[in-house]
Amino acid sequence: MSRFYHFDTIALHAGQAVDGEFGARATPIYQTTSYVFPDTDTASSTFNLERSGHVYSRITNPTVGVLEQRIAALEGGSAAVCTASGMAATYSAIIAILSQGDHIVASSQMYGGNISLMKNTLPRFGITASFVDPMDIDGFRAAVQDNTRLIYGELIGNPGLDILDLEAIAEIAGEHQIPFMVDATFNMPYLCRCFDYGVNMTIHSVTKWMGGHGVAIGGVVVDGGNFDWGATDKYPTITEPYAPFSGMNIWEEFGPSAFATRIRCEAMRDIGASMAPMTAFLLLQGLETLSLRMDKHISSTKVLLEYLQAHDQVAWVNHPDLPSHSGHELALKYLPKGAGSIVSFGVKGGREAGKPFIENVELASHLANVGDAKTLIIHPATTTHSRIDAEALVAAGITEDMVRLSVGLENVEDIKADFEIGFRAAKRISDT
Amino acid sequence: MYFDIKGKKVFATTGGKPFDKDQPVVIFLHGSGLDHTFWGLHSRFFAFRKYAVLVPDLPGHTHSEGPSLTSIEAMADWLNDVATALDIDNISVVAHSMGCLTALEYASRFPTRIRSISLITSGLATPVNPALIEAAENRPDVAIAMMLGWGFGTAGHLHQGPIPGNSMLAGGLKVMGGNVPEELATDLIACDTYGSGKLAAEKLRGPIQVILAGKDRMAPRKATAELVSHLHEPEVHVIAGSGHMLPLEVPDECRKLLKNFIFTNNTSS
Repeated sequence: MSRFYHFDTIALHAGQAVDGEFGARATPIYQTTSYVFPDTDTASSTFNLERSGHVYSRITNPTVGVLEQRIAALEGGSAAVCTASGMAATYSAIIAILSQGDHIVASSQMYGGNISLMKNTLPRFGITASFVDPMDIDGFRAAVQDNTRLIYGELIGNPGLDILDLEAIAEIAGEHQIPFMVDATFNMPYLCRCFDYGVNMTIHSVTKWMGGHGVAIGGVVVDGGNFDWGATDKYPTITEPYAPFSGMNIWEEFGPSAFATRIRCEAMRDIGASMAPMTAFLLLQGLETLSLRMDKHISSTKVLLEYLQAHDQVAWVNHPDLPSHSGHELALKYLPKGAGSIVSFGVKGGREAGKPFIENVELASHLANVGDAKTLIIHPATTTHSRIDAEALVAAGITEDMVRLSVGLENVEDIKADFEIGFRAAKRISDT
Repeated sequence: MYFDIKGKKVFATTGGKPFDKDQPVVIFLHGSGLDHTFWGLHSRFFAFRKYAVLVPDLPGHTHSEGPSLTSIEAMADWLNDVATALDIDNISVVAHSMGCLTALEYASRFPTRIRSISLITSGLATPVNPALIEAAENRPDVAIAMMLGWGFGTAGHLHQGPIPGNSMLAGGLKVMGGNVPEELATDLIACDTYGSGKLAAEKLRGPIQVILAGKDRMAPRKATAELVSHLHEPEVHVIAGSGHMLPLEVPDECRKLLKNFIFTNNTSS
């Protein structure tokens, strides 16, 4: 075969060999902590990375490994490492290459957890960050310092939905021999494969659309295999001998998967925010239908955008697929299938009117998640982004009246009918 | 590590241990468009068992300075230059695909340095489809897709791989895509024009091992049978389920065969 499998096929099959003992078609759940070595030579050589194999499920696990290879394949990356959550993925990825005294240039419009990590937690360990408006390309260039070791952003900012110009940022990163890492949770490889635009590594909260059913927490780091670590002396954790593994030079030994290997050897071993096998199994079930679900998410989003724009009780609607959105042209370039299924809008009457809207809808669930099969709503200023200060709130594009909507897979007419109940309740407040 | 050959910088991994030329040497040779990372699951094993391991990037590949060598004969000369520069003998050569042609030519011309030869998925010659050479010259991404598409078996196409979390196929695309495009065409033309394989094979007298893949679409059965028929008492193995990228696809089986053969024929202290 001289051509490669398509996205839908990879989502179903990649990474899984049919179980050789019983012929199980589904991926078996290897619920085990550890693995029996046939002899001492195999044991020592597996520990020393002289051969492949599993040692302990904090480091690798066969069920988790299927999910890792499947996501790497979907993303077009050389390797992937799954973690206990998306935030564990972000932290594991950053500490793989940054140390005390290093600096990050990051988009100001990101998930609140990412902002808090870089603004509050990492500085305690000597890693600082500068935040830049995602639309301000010159601002990214100007923010790069001598000690900058990473540029970080989200293609679709959460929750403001600004679009990051990946190629422009990748060019700046390339000029400074700095890797460009993107939290690609909102776009997934189905809507945009970031490595095609010069991104070097991606992070996903697999909890969201990839898993898609709101039943398991998980994250993943994908190594694009396209950053030349050896071209600079800025990344000694990759290019210098690593004492815990007999002085191994990870870059020399593992080439395009050096970054993923460092995470596996260090973060998974020393910190251990690993994914459970049952979690991997649940997320694999969701991943199998990602393309089908995303097509429905996107088509329903388009219907709801029209509905919300025309509604008397809606003050404003924000989504990159709308021509009025500041990132619309970039969305057409990077997200031609559609710019995701998160919509933000304001309910007329401000925060006081938004409250009855959220409390009176019945199908839409009021909770702190996105990317579920079910429609979800939340008020970011008082929940997901409540731990960041007022200035950062503005920088993140969050207003007091903003409602964040994660469009689900229900019949879209039922979602509209549900919203009518909420809007009637909101109108009673805004009219008084 | 880096060293110079005729003023050109050469990169080679040593399997994670310092290169000790006084130990028996194992040199791993990669195929067209690839590099040292192809041998990661084999090189470290020998390096940690008292062998001096050398896994070079051929000139023009990944970390070694170009240009690429334009003939198999030139690659054999270059390999001898490497051995001379590092002052090494007692060499076991392990080679894959194009590397096998280089190993045949090198061992036939410089037999005193050789202790054993392991040839993996190769024939006596590697005639290359003109369409592939044309693609390598003008549309390298298409050529790379063709080579990896044919090179891997089903497991490779499904992004399986022995290293947890790693996609063999994507890794191959990164390595080949990262090399300067014209180097792949140079490799393929070198393979296509090499005509001394039969002569070289018939000269060899030391221990020779041939490891073949049952699902190899790059080195078909007829070609590999011809290689075997012209070697003197080779040890032949066929791994039925593997494709052309055998050392990546079935590393444990491959390493076990290499271990038994090299431990027997080039004993380390």
